[in-house]
Amino acid sequence: MTEQATASPESQGQAEQPPFRIVVFADFVCPYSYLTVSQVDRLATEYGVRPIWRPHWLHPETPPEGTPRGPEETSARQQRLLAWIKDMSPEHLDRIRIPEKRQYSFLAFEALEYAAALGLDFEFKTALYELMWTARQDIGEVETLVNAAQIAGIAPEDMRYAMENRLYAQRALDAVNQARTLGITNTPTLILGRTRINGWHYYEVLQEVIEKQGLRAVA
Amino acid sequence: MQRCHIVDAAQLPWRDSASGGVAYACQVLLDGADGAPEALRFRFRDCPSVYAHMHLTSQFQLLLHGAMDFPRGVKHLEGLAIHYTDHNMPYGPFAVSGGHEMLVLHPKAGGIISMANHDARRKINLTGRLYATGEDAWDWSPLPEIPGARVKPLMPEHFGPMAMLVQLPPGAPLTTAPAAFGRYEVVVEGSALMDGQDILAPGFRYVCGPEAPTALTAGDEGVTLALLGFDSDALEGGLTGEGLSLEAEQAMARAI
Repeated sequence: MTEQATASPESQGQAEQPPFRIVVFADFVCPYSYLTVSQVDRLATEYGVRPIWRPHWLHPETPPEGTPRGPEETSARQQRLLAWIKDMSPEHLDRIRIPEKRQYSFLAFEALEYAAALGLDFEFKTALYELMWTARQDIGEVETLVNAAQIAGIAPEDMRYAMENRLYAQRALDAVNQARTLGITNTPTLILGRTRINGWHYYEVLQEVIEKQGLRAVA
Repeated sequence: MQRCHIVDAAQLPWRDSASGGVAYACQVLLDGADGAPEALRFRFRDCPSVYAHMHLTSQFQLLLHGAMDFPRGVKHLEGLAIHYTDHNMPYGPFAVSGGHEMLVLHPKAGGIISMANHDARRKINLTGRLYATGEDAWDWSPLPEIPGARVKPLMPEHFGPMAMLVQLPPGAPLTTAPAAFGRYEVVVEGSALMDGQDILAPGFRYVCGPEAPTALTAGDEGVTLALLGFDSDALEGGLTGEGLSLEAEQAMARAI
């Protein structure tokens, strides 16, 4: 996927440039995608950009009710995951709550599409990630999506209607297929202007990548 | 300049150490002084997270035993496996388990710098390469020039750096090509005669220069060698004695 970079400082003001594109392919159930949320939200604030979140369905085999984790997965693997989070993003360690089961993502992708149609996907995704990863809510349940909608400024009853009637199922499926077509294999995958970053990375790296393409902090 | 270093790992002392809360035993096989290559052997105790870090030079890790698990990229490696990084290419955190033992092989001294260091994050090689694979992902094929010998690639042919396993029957000689950017020739099983020295696993020879090194010969029970060759990235980075480099150098000195 190739994106156009923003204008270099030298050429700014000569012609209107397209906005700098940041696209994040991610799955709500991926802990590293969760760690990326605060980074990308910070980029949005500091650089005045509007990142787009697209689904990359990590576990399409997960049924709507979710998949319980085995005893081995809940002990050694969780210990390892928390140790890695402590290393990679220590500010998240005290807040993060590892879900007790692998949750079903697709309904959340539908909700994200609905939020995008309202122009509130950026706010919605942050709210939903927070509910899942800090408040132990299940993103496979409509109630969780409604809660996130409310936080994001979407009318809860509208979100409920959209979910119960699967109004955005096809759009979500198209988005999932788009990620496959683009060859997305890592979760998260970040497209920063012309550069693709496979997997989580440090905030300073994201800054370097976009600043090398001419984008500057707005304040 | 032609370089050749032969290391008999059995002759070098072990030392217990710890870094970032992780305990391990370490052997300094080559110390990297005066532009020489740097080679270390580690045995980590089981640990869920060895801190993310980078070295200021190219690196092959040769995982001899045990397992390493990573949150990104290739997620699980079991010995025998390789993990390659360009200079200033961070990796980890990673878990180690199952009787871990590995060689850390550099073309020159590279120090170590934790990615908790925010200045270091601004020195990351944004186009750096990282490649990891287990030997079980590749197939053997005969080496036609040497009866009874076979070869197994461990990296795609045009990746840049090269890695392969070569298995030789007892007494078979092997002539290797010149290694312009440096190559480790590691005994991973059996033994090999290298310039008159009988080298057992995991000893090795490091060669670098425009000329082909002298032939080596498989020992009485044959040998399996890991040939790990650097490309031009080996010329990048290194220790300059200033700033972050000095910090990396001092951190490595503490670690080993």
